[in-house]
Parts: sequence; C-alpha cells; structure tokens
Amino acid sequence: MNTTIILPAEMRYLRLATITAWTAAEIFTDTLEIKEGVHDFCHAFELSVCETFSNSVRYADPANEEKNVTICFSSCNDSLTVSVSDTNPPFDPVTSLPDINSYPEKGFGLFMIHQLMDEVTYTREKGGNLITMTKSAGKHEK
Amino acid sequence: MIISEKIISNISVLTPEGSLDAATVPQLKNFTAKSEVTPTLVLNLSGVDFLDSSGLGAIVGMARNKRESGGDVVLACMNDKVRKVFEITQVARLFHIFDDLEAAAGYAEKQQKSL
Repeated sequence: MNTTIILPAEMRYLRLATITAWTAAEIFTDTLEIKEGVHDFCHAFELSVCETFSNSVRYADPANEEKNVTICFSSCNDSLTVSVSDTNPPFDPVTSLPDINSYPEKGFGLFMIHQLMDEVTYTREKGGNLITMTKSAGKHEK
Repeated sequence: MIISEKIISNISVLTPEGSLDAATVPQLKNFTAKSEVTPTLVLNLSGVDFLDSSGLGAIVGMARNKRESGGDVVLACMNDKVRKVFEITQVARLFHIFDDLEAAAGYAEKQQKSL
C-alpha cells in the first residue's frame, strides 16, 4: 500500500481524515487476510490520525489560505505506517499522561497515540512537522 | 452531531449521537451551556460511535464543572471503542460507568437526592 491524501487544514475535514485512516487499515488487513484484532488495529489508525490531523488544524497559520495536511499510508510486511505532515511551526511533543485528578481537558492526544502505536517518531521536515506512526497487524493488542 | 435531552428518574439524560471529536465538541459545549439540566446528569453514550481526546476532555470538563457545584456526571452505554479511550487514558476511574441507562439514571437520582 502506498496512498496519499491531501486535505485542507480545516476541522470540517476531520471525519474524512479519520474515515480514510480506518478504511486504509481495513484494506491493509484484508490484503494480508488478517482476521483477528482487525477492529482494534483499524481503531488505532482512526484515532491516531484524528489526533494528529486535529492538532495540525489547531496550530495552522490562519493567514495561510493554502494550508494543507498530508496523510500518507505505506506498508512493509505486516506493518502499516501512516505519516501526517503539515507546514506549522514546531511543537513540543509531550507524551506523558496529564494528572487525571486535576480533571484535565487537554494533553491526552499524543499519550494515546503512543499507547496505540508500536512506533511513533516526530521530525521537522521541509519547514513543517512530520509525525510517523507504525503498527504491526501481527500484534493484536498493545 | 445530534444531541437530545430527556428526563429519566428525575435526572437529565443527554444523548449525543455521532462522532464526538474536535470538530463536534463545540456543539456539545454549546448545548450544555444553554440547556437547563439537573445538577447530576447522565451522559448516554450509546449513540457515540467515535471519541477522541477533545471529546474526552469535554466530558472531563463537564464532570469537573458539575462536581464543583455539588453535582456529577454519570456515564452510560459506551461502546468498546469509546470505552478504550477512557481506559487507556485512565480517565475511567474518575467516573461511575454503567452499561444500562436505567441503572445509570437510578444511581444518578440517588446521588442527587443525597445533595
């Protein structure tokens, strides 16, 4: 699989991004004829793409009318990788869980991605952010 | 997102339907800000097919506001995908979670009477 979708950095495209992620993961598992853990695998991609896409939208430069978010799916053996890139300023990729007892409303997104995916990397590329997330379909539950 | 409200056992039951995510959370916040709900309410999640960290944060914030004023938010009928978000973030331990809506409303009514 090698598929790329480019969406405007607008929140109204969020559901399109997440449905695409679920569908890409489903096609990948269908291709490998994987039957077990498919629901969890697809949900991991749906949620991870949701978190990264919404972050890209949230921090996009409002003055830039051409701002986009690029979502790229690629596969290798039994692993599916999704990379989400934007043209936003750098951010601090905090991955720790916020203090639950303080009733936080923010700070869960990257923590969840790290819980759901096998490997997560954050780099700066071409003046933007690139988050790459990989999960093996052979590992049913993380 | 469609949000409906009804009363069960003298308790406001809010039922959002669809995806509760960064794109739809403002609708839930607007609805709860405008509607006159009971001090303790039940959030019926049976119609929520997807929850992200923004939706989770909105529910946590709703609970904090209710508890600061002596009320509570009781959760009911979440599917496996929604439950997983509550569990991996450990937010589940902040809430009373019921699989049955009537049981959730009954619990909430007892909580409200004890205020």
